[in-house]
Amino acid sequence: MKDQQRKEYLASITDRYVRRKIGRRSFLKSASQLGLGLGALGMGMTRPFLPTAQAAGNLVPSDEVMAWVRDVSKPFAGTTLRLATESTPPSNAINSQLKPFFEEASGMKVEIEVLPLEQVLQKLTLDIASQLGTFDLYYIDQSWAAAVSRDVFDPREQLAEKPDLAMPDYNIDDFLPALVDGIVKYEGRWVGVPYDIPIFIMMYRRDIWEKFGFDAPTELEQYYQQAKAVTDEMGPDLFGSTGQMRSGHYSLETDWTAWLWGHGGSIFGSDRKFSGNDDAGLAAMEYWTRLWKTMPPGVTGWTWDGQGQSIAQGVAASMLSWGEFFPFFDDPKASKVSGLMEAVRVPAPKSPLRTVNETGFGEIPGIGHQGGSSLAVSRNSKSPDAAWIFMQWATSMDTQVLITTLGGGTGPTRFSVYDDPRVLANNRVGPGTTRHLPIVRATIAEDMGSEPDLPQWAELSSDTIPVRLGKYFAGDYESAKEAMDDIAEAVDRIVG
Amino acid sequence: MAVANLTRRRSALFDHPLPWLLPLIAILALLAIFPLFYSIWLSFYEWSTFNRQLEFVGWRNWATLFDDDRLSASLIVTFSYFAIALSFELVLGMGLALLLDADHRGFGFLRGALTLTLVIPPAVAGMMFLLMEDAEFGVITYVLQTIGLIDRGTPILATPSLALAGVLLVEIWQWTPFMVLIFMAGLRSLPTEPFEAALIDGASWWMTFRRITLPMMGKVIAIAVLIRGIDLFRVFDYVFVMTSGGPGTRTFSLSLYAWQQTFSFVKWGYGATLSLVTLAIVLVIANLFIWLTKVRW
Repeated sequence: MKDQQRKEYLASITDRYVRRKIGRRSFLKSASQLGLGLGALGMGMTRPFLPTAQAAGNLVPSDEVMAWVRDVSKPFAGTTLRLATESTPPSNAINSQLKPFFEEASGMKVEIEVLPLEQVLQKLTLDIASQLGTFDLYYIDQSWAAAVSRDVFDPREQLAEKPDLAMPDYNIDDFLPALVDGIVKYEGRWVGVPYDIPIFIMMYRRDIWEKFGFDAPTELEQYYQQAKAVTDEMGPDLFGSTGQMRSGHYSLETDWTAWLWGHGGSIFGSDRKFSGNDDAGLAAMEYWTRLWKTMPPGVTGWTWDGQGQSIAQGVAASMLSWGEFFPFFDDPKASKVSGLMEAVRVPAPKSPLRTVNETGFGEIPGIGHQGGSSLAVSRNSKSPDAAWIFMQWATSMDTQVLITTLGGGTGPTRFSVYDDPRVLANNRVGPGTTRHLPIVRATIAEDMGSEPDLPQWAELSSDTIPVRLGKYFAGDYESAKEAMDDIAEAVDRIVG
Repeated sequence: MAVANLTRRRSALFDHPLPWLLPLIAILALLAIFPLFYSIWLSFYEWSTFNRQLEFVGWRNWATLFDDDRLSASLIVTFSYFAIALSFELVLGMGLALLLDADHRGFGFLRGALTLTLVIPPAVAGMMFLLMEDAEFGVITYVLQTIGLIDRGTPILATPSLALAGVLLVEIWQWTPFMVLIFMAGLRSLPTEPFEAALIDGASWWMTFRRITLPMMGKVIAIAVLIRGIDLFRVFDYVFVMTSGGPGTRTFSLSLYAWQQTFSFVKWGYGATLSLVTLAIVLVIANLFIWLTKVRW
C-alpha cells in the first residue's frame, strides 16, 4: 500500500472509529495492519474524541510536512517531549488525533497532559521555579506571557539561529498581527507563537430573536433591552443572556473587561494605576448589574463551561463570549440548539474605546476579549531542538488546518488557514462547523481587546479582581463604587 | 572468653530499643521532621520571580499574617466548617450507629452500604454535588424548592448565606458513615452486663444511653473526633471543586489559601508560613482535646 493510500485509509478508519461505527478492537486491528503499532494503541487508549468535522477534503497531514519531520527528526528519535496544556481544541485535536502522525514520522514520543487552566499555571510555575525542565514546551495563556517571557525561547531567534531545523514555508509572518501583538509580544520579544485564539463574539438564538422581531444587536444598550425583553417574556424557562461569573475565577474577570472596555474604560490608566473605579468603570458596573438580572440565576456559580451549557441546553438565548463554543452549539448530539445559533460581531462600545496610550502595561481595549495562548519551547528543556521541531509542526499552516477541521472549528491564528478549502468546506451547520470563523476573523481584526502584560497579572486576574467582583455580586459591598475602590487599593498595592 | 564477651555485647545491643526504633526514626525524620524544619526555614525566605531564587526576608512573612484580611476570613471559614461539620457528623454518626447496632435481617447489608461513600474520591463527590446543587437542573435545589426552603432558581453555591452549607452537605454526606463505622465498632465491643443490669433496674433508654453508653464510649468518641477534626481543618477538595472559595471569600478555607499562595502565585515562603500556622492550630486544638478528654495512647 502506498504511503498516501495508507494515510487515507488511516484517516478513514479513524473517522469511522470517531463516529463509533467501528469499535476500538476493530480500529486497533486495522491500525496494526497498517503498521501503526504503538502509536495507534496510544491513540485508541486516549480520551474520547471531540466533535469532529465532516470536511470533504483530505484530513491527513501533507506529505511534504511529514517528510520534513521525518528528515529533520532523525537525530532526536527516541526523545520524549512533554507539554502541559489546557483542554483547548488545538491541544485536544493534537493529543487525540494528530499526535500519532508526528510520533510515527519523528520517532519521538509526545506526552501531553490536558489539565484545567489553573493547574497548567501551577505546573508551569513550578517547572520554571525548579528549573527541572519537566516540560519541554509551555502552553502560555496570554495573561502569563509577561511572567514567563524570560523562560522561553523567542521563536524568531530559533528560526534565525537554527536554519537546519527550520520548517520550509513555516512563514512566521502568517500569524495574524493583532494576535502577535495581543498574545505573544512582551517588551519586544515573542513569548512563543500564537497557538489558540478563543475570542469574545456575539452569539444569539436566531429563532428567538426572530420571534421578538429583533435584529442582531449592534449596540450594548440595544443588547441589554433585547436580553431583558426575552427574560421578561420567557423567563424562567429561557433567559435573554448568560455569563461566566463564578466568584474568584478568571472567567469572571474576562466578562468584566468586556463591559469595562465597552464603556470606554480600562483596567489601568496611563499612570499605571488601576482605573476600573473611574466614571467609565462605574458605568460599566451599572450596565453589567442590569444585564446580570437578565441571566439565569445560576450564572454566579458558572465558569465558561456552565455558560456554554446554558446556551446548549436551551436555558439562555444569547451570550457575548468565547467563539470556540459555536461549533459545540451546532453539534446536535451535544446541544439542543443545533442550527439555531447565529454569530455576529460584538456590539459597538457605548463610549469610544481608550487607546493603548491611554492605558497601562500594553492593555488594548476592545469588547472582543481575547483569551489566546501561545506555544513556546522552555529554556529549561533538555531537548530544546526536538521541542522546536514539534512546535513548528504543531503551529504550522498544515497542522492548523487539520486542528480547525478535526478539532471542532476552533479559531485559527494564521491568515492562510481561514481561506483554506478544507476549512471552508466545513462552513455548514453541524459539529465542527466553521461558519462562525468569518466573524472570528473580523473580531480579531476590528474588535479585539487584550489584557495588560505585567508579571503580577496572573494573580490579579485570577484572584484579586474576580474574588472582589464575586463579593460584589454576593452583596458584600454597599455599592459598585465601594467594590471598585477596594479592587483599586488591592491592585495598586500588588503592582507597587 | 572472647566469644562470651561478643555474645554479651551482641545481647546488650539487641536488648537496647534503639536498633528497633531506628527504621521508625528514619521514616519520621524523612517524612515529618525534615519537612517541618524545611518549612520553618522556608518561612524566612521568599521566591523572587525576577531573580529566580529564594531571597531572605527575615520576619516579613510572619508579620504579614497580622495584616492579612484574607487569612482572617479563611480562619473564620475554616473554624465554622470545622465546628458545624464535626457537630453534624458526631450526632448523626452516633444516631445511625445506634440504629444499625442490631442483628436483624438486612442490617449487615446496610452497614456494608454505608462504606460506599468513603471510597469515592472527595473531588468526584464535590463534582457530583456541584451538579446536584445547580440552580437550573440540580436535584437538591429542586427538592429544597419543592419543600419551600429556597426560592426557584436560587444558586446555592453562589448565594453568600447558603454557599458554606452547600459545601458542608457533601462533607457530611461523605464522612458521617466514617463516624458510624467507628461508633458501631465501639458499641459492639461494649460488655453486655451493665446494660442487662440497667434493664433489670428499669432504666429508660435515654438514661441507659446517657449514663452507660456515652461514658463507656467516651474514648472511642474522642478518637473519632480527633481524627475527623484534624481532617476537617484541612478541607480543600470540596471548596476547590465546588466554589473556588467563593462567593467572595465565603468558603475560602485556610488550606485553599495556603495552596493558592504556594502553587498558583509561587509565594513559597508565605505558603510555608500559612502551613505552619495551620499546623500550630491543629496541634494546639488536638492536644487540648487529648488533655481534656484524658485520651491515653
